[in-house]
Amino acid sequence: MSIAGATNLNRAKIDFLVVLGVLGAFVFFMGFALLLPAGIDLIYGEDTWHSFLFSAAIAFAVGGALWYSFRPKDELRIREGFLVVSLTWLSLSLVGALPFVISGILPSFTDAVFETMSGLSTTGSTILGGTTSDGFANPQIEDIPKSFLFWRSLAHWLGGMGIIVLSLAILPLLGIGGMQLFQAESPGPTADKLTPRVQETAKLLWGIYVAFTFAEFILLWLHPAMDWFEAINHAFATMATGGFSTKNASIQAFNSAYIDWVIIIFMYLAGVNFAMHFRLIQGDRKAFFANREIRFYTLVIFIGIFIISGSLWVIDNYNILDALRYGAFQVLAIVTTTGFGTDNYEIWNTVGAFFLFLLFFTGGCAGSTGGGIKMIRWMILIRNTGREIKQIIHPKAILPVRIGDQAINQNIQRTVLSFFILYIFIFALGAFCISLFGYDIMSSIGASIAAIGNIGPGWGDFGPTDSFAGLPYLGKWILIMLMMVGRLEIFTVLIIFSPAFWKQ
Amino acid sequence: MKIVIIGAGEIGYDLASVLSSEKHDVTVLDREKESLSRVSDSLDVLTIEGNATSVKDLVKADVGEADILISVTSIDEVNMIAGMIGKRLGAKMVIARIRSDEFSDEKAPLTPSDLGIDVMIHPELSAAHEIAQLLKRSAASDVINLAEDRMQLIGIRLERNSPLIGKSLNEYASMHSDIKFRVVAIGRRGRTIIPNGSIKLQNYDQVFVLAKTEDIPAIIETTGKKETELNTVMIAGGSDMGAMIARILCSDPTKKWSIKLIEPDYDTAEELAIELKDVMVLNGNPTDPDLLATEGISDMDAFIAVTDDEESNIISCLMAKHLEVKKTVALVSKPDFIPLAQTIGLDAVINKKVAASNEIHRYVRRGRVISVTELRGIKAEVIELQANEGSKVTQKPIKKLKLPEGCVIGGVLCDGSVEIATGETEVKPNDRVMIFCLPAAIDKITKLFQ
Repeated sequence: MSIAGATNLNRAKIDFLVVLGVLGAFVFFMGFALLLPAGIDLIYGEDTWHSFLFSAAIAFAVGGALWYSFRPKDELRIREGFLVVSLTWLSLSLVGALPFVISGILPSFTDAVFETMSGLSTTGSTILGGTTSDGFANPQIEDIPKSFLFWRSLAHWLGGMGIIVLSLAILPLLGIGGMQLFQAESPGPTADKLTPRVQETAKLLWGIYVAFTFAEFILLWLHPAMDWFEAINHAFATMATGGFSTKNASIQAFNSAYIDWVIIIFMYLAGVNFAMHFRLIQGDRKAFFANREIRFYTLVIFIGIFIISGSLWVIDNYNILDALRYGAFQVLAIVTTTGFGTDNYEIWNTVGAFFLFLLFFTGGCAGSTGGGIKMIRWMILIRNTGREIKQIIHPKAILPVRIGDQAINQNIQRTVLSFFILYIFIFALGAFCISLFGYDIMSSIGASIAAIGNIGPGWGDFGPTDSFAGLPYLGKWILIMLMMVGRLEIFTVLIIFSPAFWKQ
Repeated sequence: MKIVIIGAGEIGYDLASVLSSEKHDVTVLDREKESLSRVSDSLDVLTIEGNATSVKDLVKADVGEADILISVTSIDEVNMIAGMIGKRLGAKMVIARIRSDEFSDEKAPLTPSDLGIDVMIHPELSAAHEIAQLLKRSAASDVINLAEDRMQLIGIRLERNSPLIGKSLNEYASMHSDIKFRVVAIGRRGRTIIPNGSIKLQNYDQVFVLAKTEDIPAIIETTGKKETELNTVMIAGGSDMGAMIARILCSDPTKKWSIKLIEPDYDTAEELAIELKDVMVLNGNPTDPDLLATEGISDMDAFIAVTDDEESNIISCLMAKHLEVKKTVALVSKPDFIPLAQTIGLDAVINKKVAASNEIHRYVRRGRVISVTELRGIKAEVIELQANEGSKVTQKPIKKLKLPEGCVIGGVLCDGSVEIATGETEVKPNDRVMIFCLPAAIDKITKLFQ
């Protein structure tokens, strides 16, 4: 995909056919992804391959037809770019939901879309293992065929791949997302140089992503409690900061300190800006360790571990090693927005549980697969607040907001501020909507923040041991939207609902 | 000597005035009639109206025959091109004012010698360095480093409570016989005195003392002043000089200065705020008492006024002085203001034109002159001379030499060790000698060294 200024002046500002053509291409390629679980089924022989093959055929047919009929002759305009980015996640979730419906594993189309969106947006909330509002008992995670378990993890992995490229290469062009903060460090892309740059950037970043996934797969597989299938699924879910597991009890089911620590390390890596991984691999160790956002991210994690593990040790009488292991795992799972579980944090002491709840509002680094508000935004918000206080004492002073030595442009400060306000507003609105279905405050807040932050497990009725199955269908659609809005850094989606966007 | 000066601005005018009074043949070239007529009305120089980058006009100014071509227009590029053309035309030495520091780097792709420029001068930067120097010697009004920084000449204003008031220089010397120093000049009510031992010190005398650098703090104590360490600085004016001073202080390895800088122009202020992260940049008028008060001027150790408006520099420094700021420094260019500013109590005045002429002087003087520094506000100069083999100065001890009127030998640098001169000191060939004299005596004293 490429975006450029006007080449054909006669064209309308938004050409829906062009948008459909590009979406068609994405759907077409989703068809290839659908063939992979069919391959898994050939190994395990659970006779589900035809639902994947059939779904793939639909994807090829519809996507191919759209792509062929409306293939874009011009480059995409900025507004079309916004539409394409937002609609991609939605349309791929619809296509990805097909196998669940066709095979009859999930009779409700809403549930199927919820599960797929939760996968592609790397959220990790599941509707499996519970009873829906209309009384149908969804199967337990461990009871669905292996090919479907694989499909859920693959959705994570592809979503993570997509988000890296989106956040590092495409959103900055649209003027959105945390990564524009670093544009000063690398020469800004121009319209004509864009295509080679995006492709090259994408290849490099995917290379790192694949390499990390492979390394984690090997390390997990080395442990006897995991077979290759479980290792690959968990590697996918970790690197995408997703959170789908192949077990009902998530990582707790393996009950292995080794597995916990491997996943802790890879969750940490997945929450770091992938451009920084690239610099590190290039041998630029200084850039990595001098990066203020990584430092801040690490600091937040250490403070979290200190308080939460400390509280588990002192108040909940865990032995010190267990306190560290369970505390660190849960802090990483929430800060990076992965959402795996090794312990039920809802029954922890109030100090630990409350601090973990605060961490629901953090998020990884910009340019990582993690969701949430993200560390760089918090840094700017904190510095900006400090600046405002200083400004009252020195009314005439010019006080730039700095991250490291770099002064942050005022436009970016404004964007970050409005992002934060929108994020909190949409989160609150979402929580309010969930409460309308009769849920208590913690459940409503938990469901909303887990969805918009792409975390996965929430609180109360949607805690780490619960399922989202019982939520009424309208509520599920609200969460589906929240997952998408959160994943696409809010503005990308919200801009489509502004009247100015549609003015010709 | 034949000297062509290009650019009749502030610095060009001052150079022309100094050099013509020293009996050099000076030609001044400028594009603007008005600036030229200011020169020709008051100075005995030849003026030519023309373009600095035009070969025809440079030939008209007879640049080819010049011993020294000095290009000091306000634009770097013009000075470079004028210098290049001048060198091709046959000027023996080319001095150009280049503000950009990108050419002075050794690895620079284009160096001054590529451009035919023998010497680059940057008066603003020299003046900024001088101010930074002054902040490190809080009690002094002038600090001049000599003999590779091993000796310092400091100017100190004697306050009414000084123990030295009413004492003669001989008495002063015997009071502190443990320290070696020499009073080389006194500025008194706008007059300059090259003193002998019997002269008595008075209120508000500006005393110039030469000593080894390590003895300077002890000297300052003898005058009844205290050398206090300055930490907080307020700089008024962020253009050129102000920004340079802030940069120099920020990169001071010995301590962390707390700096506030006031700049009236918002865009300039914002740029500085982004560039200088350890400086608090304020956007406002440096003479606004409210602003100065809210930013706590009375808690400042030093106040430096370097805006382009010299009257307001003096006023804001006076305001600061009134609020008991320990050290005030004002940028003042009009020569008439300089003694005035000192009389009304400013601790130091800085003049970027003096900085420029100091830089240029050492290339203009005949003989083996190593450096020349003009003292601000008084009409004496410091010259560093090297004694030639067989020159008169090497034949007798100093007290038997017949030194010209208005002239004193302050120190001798011999085989790398410095010594404060006394009557018994004998100058050996190739020694470097620090001399303080009135301008009229310069020619006579240099002859002693040839």
